[in-house]
Amino acid sequence: MTSAADRPEVRKRLRDVAPVVRSKNAGPTQLTIDIFFADAAGYTLAAHSASLTPSAVAALYGQSVAQMRRFLLPEIFAMKFSMPRQIVAGSPGDGDVYGAQQHAPLLDVELDPALDSQVDAHAGAKS
Amino acid sequence: MTAVARLLQTHRPGSEPLRVLSASGQLGYGIPEAAFAGGMARAPHFIGCDMGSIDPGPYYLGAGVMAAPVAMVRRDLELVLCAALDKGIPLIIGSAGTAGAKPHLDATLAIVHDIAREHGLRFRLATIASDVSADRIAAARDSGQLVSIGASDLDGALGSGLPSPGDEELRACSHIVGQCGSETFQRALAMQPDVLIAGRACDTAIFAALPEMLGYPSALALHMAKIVECTSLCCRPGGRDAMLAEMTLEHFTLESMNPQAHATPASVAAHALYEQADPFRVDEPTGTLLLHEAHYEAVDAHRTRVHGARFAPRARPSLKVEGAARVGARVVMLAGIADPTMLGILPQALETVEARVRGLVPGPWTLHPHIYGQGAVRPLPPAQRSAHEAGLVLEFIAPDAALARTAAGVFKQNLLHFGYPGRVSTAGNLAFAFTPSELDANEAYRFVVYHVIQEAPLEDIFKVAILEIDGAAGERPERP
Repeated sequence: MTSAADRPEVRKRLRDVAPVVRSKNAGPTQLTIDIFFADAAGYTLAAHSASLTPSAVAALYGQSVAQMRRFLLPEIFAMKFSMPRQIVAGSPGDGDVYGAQQHAPLLDVELDPALDSQVDAHAGAKS
Repeated sequence: MTAVARLLQTHRPGSEPLRVLSASGQLGYGIPEAAFAGGMARAPHFIGCDMGSIDPGPYYLGAGVMAAPVAMVRRDLELVLCAALDKGIPLIIGSAGTAGAKPHLDATLAIVHDIAREHGLRFRLATIASDVSADRIAAARDSGQLVSIGASDLDGALGSGLPSPGDEELRACSHIVGQCGSETFQRALAMQPDVLIAGRACDTAIFAALPEMLGYPSALALHMAKIVECTSLCCRPGGRDAMLAEMTLEHFTLESMNPQAHATPASVAAHALYEQADPFRVDEPTGTLLLHEAHYEAVDAHRTRVHGARFAPRARPSLKVEGAARVGARVVMLAGIADPTMLGILPQALETVEARVRGLVPGPWTLHPHIYGQGAVRPLPPAQRSAHEAGLVLEFIAPDAALARTAAGVFKQNLLHFGYPGRVSTAGNLAFAFTPSELDANEAYRFVVYHVIQEAPLEDIFKVAILEIDGAAGERPERP
């Protein structure tokens, strides 16, 4: 899918190809992160990146991979991650009741187009 | 004839589109007037408003108060109530007063009564009480019918969710509510009111109940409802302006009443992700809305037409329930720190001072430090932690406010004059923006219940009532 010729010399970061990276509660016990890419190229680069697999993002958020769900939405150039919240929203010790500022660790993730297979790019595929 | 009776008698699906006006996704924060007026000019068949959410946290449910400022709630209610009654169309409001428990519904109804008196309004009002008893939750738990959300819907993956609540935790819940759906709204609408105000409700019920009653397919009605309940958030640029949906039996067309906010296929499709753990499944009491085959097409640059969602009914209705319990009284202490050495040892400094204060102030108080600039919002790697300035929010929680205040006050002074190796700022460690720096911060609550009751007897749980409002009957309040 991605040939060596397509590979940029300097790795792009997620924020270079995704104009929207947002996080929010999906109810008080879950956090969900939506990433919208500017175009098919950005989406494809990210969907094939080893740094955005469920296990890579689970590690970034201190979650076990079994708790990390990734959704690919190629038709709208979007990717989504859902995971349990570490603290139930609003319980003592929580620092982000709405979960609206948990996107930041993803912004500087470098996209590595090395992962050529493994991605089921069908609409609505869950991986 | 009431507004609901008129709509049910006169509207024939297939002969003309059903126009649904969503006036507010969070009533009480100022409905934008121009877009709402634009929506009213399109002769909608009914108006819907969402008034609540679990997002603002457990305090509002637990304490029984609204999140939105009461004066703005009154302003918004007045706007939609007068508009609906003027045109003789139904007004449907869900999740009254933020959390939709009895005090929230009562406070909302009190404002409605007040508006009715002021304007001399007469109408038939249906209400839905959404309160669920602790005993019912305990019974569901004991019969294996109580499933934690976040654990149940992960298709085999392990979610955390909330643990099964114990009897004591359930008794500690000041309020427990259930999210009623279209089926309960339809029970209230069958009583043919002009206005329906529900306690805690599924956002979708507000907009899907009437179309379903009129004969529109559930999948179409619920998908439309799921999108318009956030008004123009599904547009580019997103916003809070009123949103119009025009339904036929085959599809619905979305149009923002703000001419600058465009509903495009991409923007509307993207909205399915918003605050949803699974972008393809929306659970309702009577079934699941499936969006895998939803199709979005542009009508023009401003409007998008949608169809293709499916609805998988459940054999027995389930119910999402929410409950919050008091943790204690909360006091917060606010300060800034600019000394680089102090910033380098801050977590250890707080530990040392806490130990010292525990010796001085015994009792069951807890401390939750938030060090802004050093990982209060999310864990920060050491290299990214601020070394030049940080904000300190210390949260003290105790069974009573007096103990929390005492702990906060003693902590503040001990941290202000805390001596540490290499200290150069020997006159004080903290910068206060104001004094007192310790502030009462209401009561602290936590969610104890966020579960699904499988096989819930919805008719038994949700109480529907009718009130004949006659604002002209009593004395009207004198106006200045």
